[in-house]
Amino acid sequence: MILRTGYFLKRALRNMRQSPVLSLASVGTVALALALLAFFAIAVLNVQQLTSSWNENLAIVAYLDDVPEEKVVKGWIKDVESYPEVDKVTFVSRKEAFARFAKRLGDDADLIEGLGEDVLPASLEITLADDWHSESALTDVVERLRNDHRFEDLQYGQGWLEKLEAFLLLLRVSGSALGGFLVFAALVIVANTIKLTLYARQDELEAMAMVGGTSLFIKLPYLIEGALQGLLGGATALLLSFLVFQVILQKSLGSLLLITGIDTIHFLPPIWQAMLVVGGGLIGLLGSLFALRKFVRFGSS
Amino acid sequence: MIQLFNVCKAYLGGQNALSDVTLKVEKGEFVYLTGPSGAGKSTLLKLLYCAERPTRGQILVNGRNITRYGSARIPYLRRNLGIIFQDFKLLKRRTIFENVAFPLEIKGCKRFEISKKVYQALKNVGLEHRLNHHPLQLSGGEQQRVAVARALVVDPLILLADEPTGNLDPEVTLDIMELFKNANARGTTIIMATHDRGLIRQFPRRIVSLDAGSLALDDLPLFKGTADTAMVGQV
Repeated sequence: MILRTGYFLKRALRNMRQSPVLSLASVGTVALALALLAFFAIAVLNVQQLTSSWNENLAIVAYLDDVPEEKVVKGWIKDVESYPEVDKVTFVSRKEAFARFAKRLGDDADLIEGLGEDVLPASLEITLADDWHSESALTDVVERLRNDHRFEDLQYGQGWLEKLEAFLLLLRVSGSALGGFLVFAALVIVANTIKLTLYARQDELEAMAMVGGTSLFIKLPYLIEGALQGLLGGATALLLSFLVFQVILQKSLGSLLLITGIDTIHFLPPIWQAMLVVGGGLIGLLGSLFALRKFVRFGSS
Repeated sequence: MIQLFNVCKAYLGGQNALSDVTLKVEKGEFVYLTGPSGAGKSTLLKLLYCAERPTRGQILVNGRNITRYGSARIPYLRRNLGIIFQDFKLLKRRTIFENVAFPLEIKGCKRFEISKKVYQALKNVGLEHRLNHHPLQLSGGEQQRVAVARALVVDPLILLADEPTGNLDPEVTLDIMELFKNANARGTTIIMATHDRGLIRQFPRRIVSLDAGSLALDDLPLFKGTADTAMVGQV
């Protein structure tokens, strides 16, 4: 059986060498479809990570137009920290706020050069405790702060959390639909490309059947060929998406995305990478299986 | 070895390629299948290797009714047959060696055994020096000889040959006929479709003649140069 596996693999490789253009077409089709899928997956993955980090840092910011004395601020901090939902209250001075903004701008920090360091307001950053990371807890705390007339200008991401959740759901659903469509399209195109190679070899397939080749014996090299082309396509898609990730997403878009609060852009995790390559192999295998379905005939009825 | 009972074959459009053919070929026999073009010779051979199915009647090969064979069993029937096709059916992308080796590979023979047998088979047809060539690099006659080598390399129980000497010059024809005679002497049953009357005279064997799909003559020569003529249906 091992010898036979070697035989079928050798035949598959030889078939690919004999039709390089059609083989490249199959590999290219799988690569393009899967690369598109990979880009989409990278986008979904990073948006998801961003929102989950936002969720973890659920906080209320109370802006202070006039900064009272340090002693008074400490008293306010102590008061707010006594709320059961609140984990920590941090005072951010005008100077600190300006430094943070400059840091976030990174290479573009020169944009704010010349502005005074007191251009941004001071604030109290109120972080909720782990057990209270919910929309209702957030609203409760905000309500109490509003009733306390010391804090008037409150920012807590009003309503956007809900919208973000809805957006994420939409992203996931549309991602699955688009992914499914792309995989199906790749499958059909690969099947048709393999069918073209089979049309060119129809005489050969018939001759094999006439001298006693079983359906499996005749088909197996073509199935292996399809799987190999798919695997190559998957690997190419991985390479392509990695290059695009490195060159465009990290270098060109990196600073732009930093403004939205994303510290680092993540590539596909290893398991997804493996799935991309194996998925390519499966697409190729299924594509050739569909193409071969009615190709090997042993005679007319 | 081979029995046909009232076999009819009609193609789409209603034209009868074979009508009520009853025939028996014993193990080890050498039978010429003759008749004018369109008489049904190729159809009869195709029925024997299940490339066509009879419209009516039964066909037994080696005691088994092949009329009811499904596509999964057909390859195993063909492995016991050596078939020489009118259009050769060589694998154009493979070398001559690989073409002749193919039926042995299907059978799962060991590599050294394949090499030995293929070389011998190609030597028998005088093409051992062309084993790395591809079919399209060969003349029609040479391709015919490759087809003969491929059919004989498996030591078939039955050899079905459709005009195997049609493209060959007289000298090579004699060599091929010698190969057939040797295979026949080793026990291979041979059915050979041919138009070549000269060949039949030179190598007299039983003649089954078809005309417009019907059995016209079944001739059993006892000695070279003479023949007993059996009437149609007397098999």
